Amino acid sequence: MRVTVGILVAMLLAVAPAWAHHSFAAEFDATKCSDITGILTKVAYENPHSYVWVDVKDASGKAVSNTFQLSSPSNLKRGGATYGVLNGSVGKEVLVRGCASRNGEANRYAASFIKLPDGAIQRVGQDVEGIFGTKIWR
Amino acid sequence: MKAHIGMTVAALCALSIAIGAQEQDKKFVEARGSVKPVPLPPGGPAPRMSDGHVDLSGVWFSGPTGKANAWSVVPDAPLKEDPVPFRPEAAAKISSMSRTERELKSPGVTCQPVGTPGMWTINPYPHQIVMKPGLYVHLIESDNAWSVVHTDGRPHKKPEDLEPLYNGDQTAHWEGDTLVIDTISIDERTWINQSGWFHSDQAHVIERLRRPSKNYLEYQYTVEDPKVLTKPWTSTWRTYSLGSEDLTENFCTNNENVDQLEKLNQTERQK
Repeated sequence: MRVTVGILVAMLLAVAPAWAHHSFAAEFDATKCSDITGILTKVAYENPHSYVWVDVKDASGKAVSNTFQLSSPSNLKRGGATYGVLNGSVGKEVLVRGCASRNGEANRYAASFIKLPDGAIQRVGQDVEGIFGTKIWR
Repeated sequence: MKAHIGMTVAALCALSIAIGAQEQDKKFVEARGSVKPVPLPPGGPAPRMSDGHVDLSGVWFSGPTGKANAWSVVPDAPLKEDPVPFRPEAAAKISSMSRTERELKSPGVTCQPVGTPGMWTINPYPHQIVMKPGLYVHLIESDNAWSVVHTDGRPHKKPEDLEPLYNGDQTAHWEGDTLVIDTISIDERTWINQSGWFHSDQAHVIERLRRPSKNYLEYQYTVEDPKVLTKPWTSTWRTYSLGSEDLTENFCTNNENVDQLEKLNQTERQK
């Protein structure tokens, strides 16, 4: 039994994501991801994570705000998602790939990319689904 | 016990096959920001300071590309390291936490200072080292943290003068071309790495830095902690490469993860 506990702990150490601020999988569900289209209403370019908010119209036509957690400004700006790129898209239509929060909070996601108004697909988070061709270590 | 290992290996194999099958069916998205890594060449010999010791100065990124690799499509392979020899009660304490509980206590989530060796082991962002003869200055982007260490091999503070510090009481000396940083009196609120590896007031961390060529820096650490480990443990060498960017500001001030994870933890406890 002790050895089994040791092995489990060793596995945890081995697969802990080395270069994430913290574990994506602890907070979001990589099996519940979808494309969400709406109007980008606000950008918070801040640490440890940035956020964007997107209004999506529901069946009755009412705008419902969706919150997307992005990576940190350090990762975003080095990956081309500068403050100017994101903030410059406020008020325009975007498509966001988002994975749902595991705690049941509605309309809260982690985003992996944003399709910007000019059509560019911009990484803004981890490739938890492997959609960018990443070989994922789980 | 063998049965446990067999089952674990079988489960991991099944998982990899399942992931492989999923990936074959997937349409990949070409996105701006995805990085296809190109390793830097060695770049010639490491520079030296006026006192003849290797100069470790530079902005250093994890991995071989000299750039951020958070969105690399070829992430670093899991490190091959010996299992950490936890005392049974320490292993039980770590494994008794749920993933959510572990996250909630993680310095990466609490935004507590990462300390020693966390400046290297709990830090996804680049480092800057500034050196002059006799002095090592380590700056990191994560929460704009820093440490300054004398490299003249001076002794630690006297026991009566020690106080728990996140970075601990640090001194350093050279062993050939390797800088050895010796740290004691580390605040017990820090973790050794992101996995939940807590430490005691007896933790003694020995870090080694070397620059095998101009473009590469290597880091290794040893932990001695008789209250938590059955024997000392030494990491493998980790590779960093020379960047040409400045560090950027990164203050962890707007942390929503704690509230979100607390909510998840409550949900899980009710189940």
